Amino acid sequence: MIEFKNVSASYDGELAVLRDVSFTVNDGDFVAFVGTNGAGKSTTMRLVNGLLKPTAGEVLVDGVPTTALKTSELARRIGFLFQNPDRQICCNTVREELLFGFKALGEEGPAAEERVDAIIERFGFDADAEPYLLNRGTRQLLALASIIVLAPPTIILDEPTTGLDFRECVKVMDVVRELNEGGTTVIMVCHDMEVVGDFARRVIAMTDGRVVTDGATFDVLRDGRVLKEAHILPPQVTEVSMILGRDEGCAASIAQADTVPQMVAAIAQELQLEGRAAAEAAALANDVAAALSAETVASAATVVEAKAMPGDAGADGEGGR
Amino acid sequence: MIEFKEFSFRYREGEAPVVRDIALSIPDGCFVGITGAAGSGKSTLTYAINGIIPHCYPGDFYGSVTVEGLDTVEASLTDISRVVGSVCQDIDSQMVSTVVEDEILYGLENFAVPKDEIPARVDEALAAMGIVDLRDRTIDSLSGGQKQKVAVASVIALQPRVLVLDEPTAELDPASSVAVFDLLARYAREHGTTVVVVEQKIALLSDYADMLVIVDGGCIRFADTPDAVLAHSDELLALGVNVPRATTLMNALGAQGLYGGPTVRNVAGAAAALKEVLA
Repeated sequence: MIEFKNVSASYDGELAVLRDVSFTVNDGDFVAFVGTNGAGKSTTMRLVNGLLKPTAGEVLVDGVPTTALKTSELARRIGFLFQNPDRQICCNTVREELLFGFKALGEEGPAAEERVDAIIERFGFDADAEPYLLNRGTRQLLALASIIVLAPPTIILDEPTTGLDFRECVKVMDVVRELNEGGTTVIMVCHDMEVVGDFARRVIAMTDGRVVTDGATFDVLRDGRVLKEAHILPPQVTEVSMILGRDEGCAASIAQADTVPQMVAAIAQELQLEGRAAAEAAALANDVAAALSAETVASAATVVEAKAMPGDAGADGEGGR
Repeated sequence: MIEFKEFSFRYREGEAPVVRDIALSIPDGCFVGITGAAGSGKSTLTYAINGIIPHCYPGDFYGSVTVEGLDTVEASLTDISRVVGSVCQDIDSQMVSTVVEDEILYGLENFAVPKDEIPARVDEALAAMGIVDLRDRTIDSLSGGQKQKVAVASVIALQPRVLVLDEPTAELDPASSVAVFDLLARYAREHGTTVVVVEQKIALLSDYADMLVIVDGGCIRFADTPDAVLAHSDELLALGVNVPRATTLMNALGAQGLYGGPTVRNVAGAAAALKEVLA
């Protein structure tokens, strides 16, 4: 568990870059910090891993103030992935890179070797490859692997998808999702609201060194006041549904859709209500959901099920467009 | 005009060409967005425009690349850089001064711009990027977005006819990314500058670009208007190219026979189209 209690921080001792920040990240959370450049997100992360000390307040990791923890103790509890993997990678081969953390912590040995072997296999790395000759996405994966091989209970990801193409982004974030599902706490700084919407369960929005709000992902990303104050845009489908939701008579399923499958299912259902055969529309919505994303099928199907109830008005095949 | 004719290139250390048989014409004043998966060859195309290939990165160069009439193999790097201004992906590696004004002066002095022209050039560049207030700031004190604007300002002060930018918004938040593209597009429009941007944020690109170029495996897969390119969203996703969710949404509805209108590339377009669908 990570707790910020009325934390303020400064780099030069004069200008406060963080002001009276309080929040708690519980074990197993997946939290995204969002906000503009300079909002204080990265500063917050530096306070978590002890690279920066608070000028006021307390940062507690598992109940212990970071000021009372050695860097090595913090490193065991919190893995930190830098935005640019080239600022993290420092060894001549993939294998050496993965062993580096164990060496730094004085934990070399057969157990470490075994974990490195396992992670090389899991990620499909070439153990002898030179890290700097790998492409950007693979270097990012290597940097991530070099952290998770140490099995820290919490990982901090500073813009983990910057500079990655779509496939690399999915690959990196799938690993992160799997870690979180396995119990690892994930704290992520991210500008890409599509990634935030797809993966984070909770969002903390910051601006000018303070927390604007802290809540469930789409509660935050749908809050007009927060979006304006933190200068953030919601994911595109969420924004579309918010615009449509302003119209009188807009169906709740459309106004609340946050993913492509949800929106397609909601639109199909709305058209069905206006006259398409119920079975046809429900099948259509399910087909679309299945084709688009296995991940969100459940949510799309939920929308369909909730709406395709027998006896719904207009489900008699009349008035199709 | 930038013209690639049957251009292929293999880096000296590489086993195979990284780009092959590139044929592309970019008219003067065009705003071009190049995107594609990592390693697809998009940066190599920009290196061929600004002369880094073959002058800095030697290798086997086939075909030709001409920029404003200059053959980039025959022309010197100095001559090319008078026509083409480049902004690197890693801004910190581009900065050579400690203060913003000095950073902008650096290129002007190196290009031997007449002394009496320099103050006006600096003022115009700072104004064009909306950073007049940063003139006396140290580079170290700037945010990523501010540094990006300084880097662009230092290049446009040289008044190049072509601007090449490699992932200029990679480290910026969405609002700062839009601000940089707004300023860039306005400057290019007012000065008739040709802009070539490599960018992963296709949603951003498609709102500004006249032409989108999709590179895959060293070849150009698409080179057309954003609307025409985004109509192929399934294929783009398969190539590792992200597609705006608004486009994916409307194309998915189209595939199910629920939408038959033109390609949508942003939130406003999707909302308007859906209002019609639901009307």
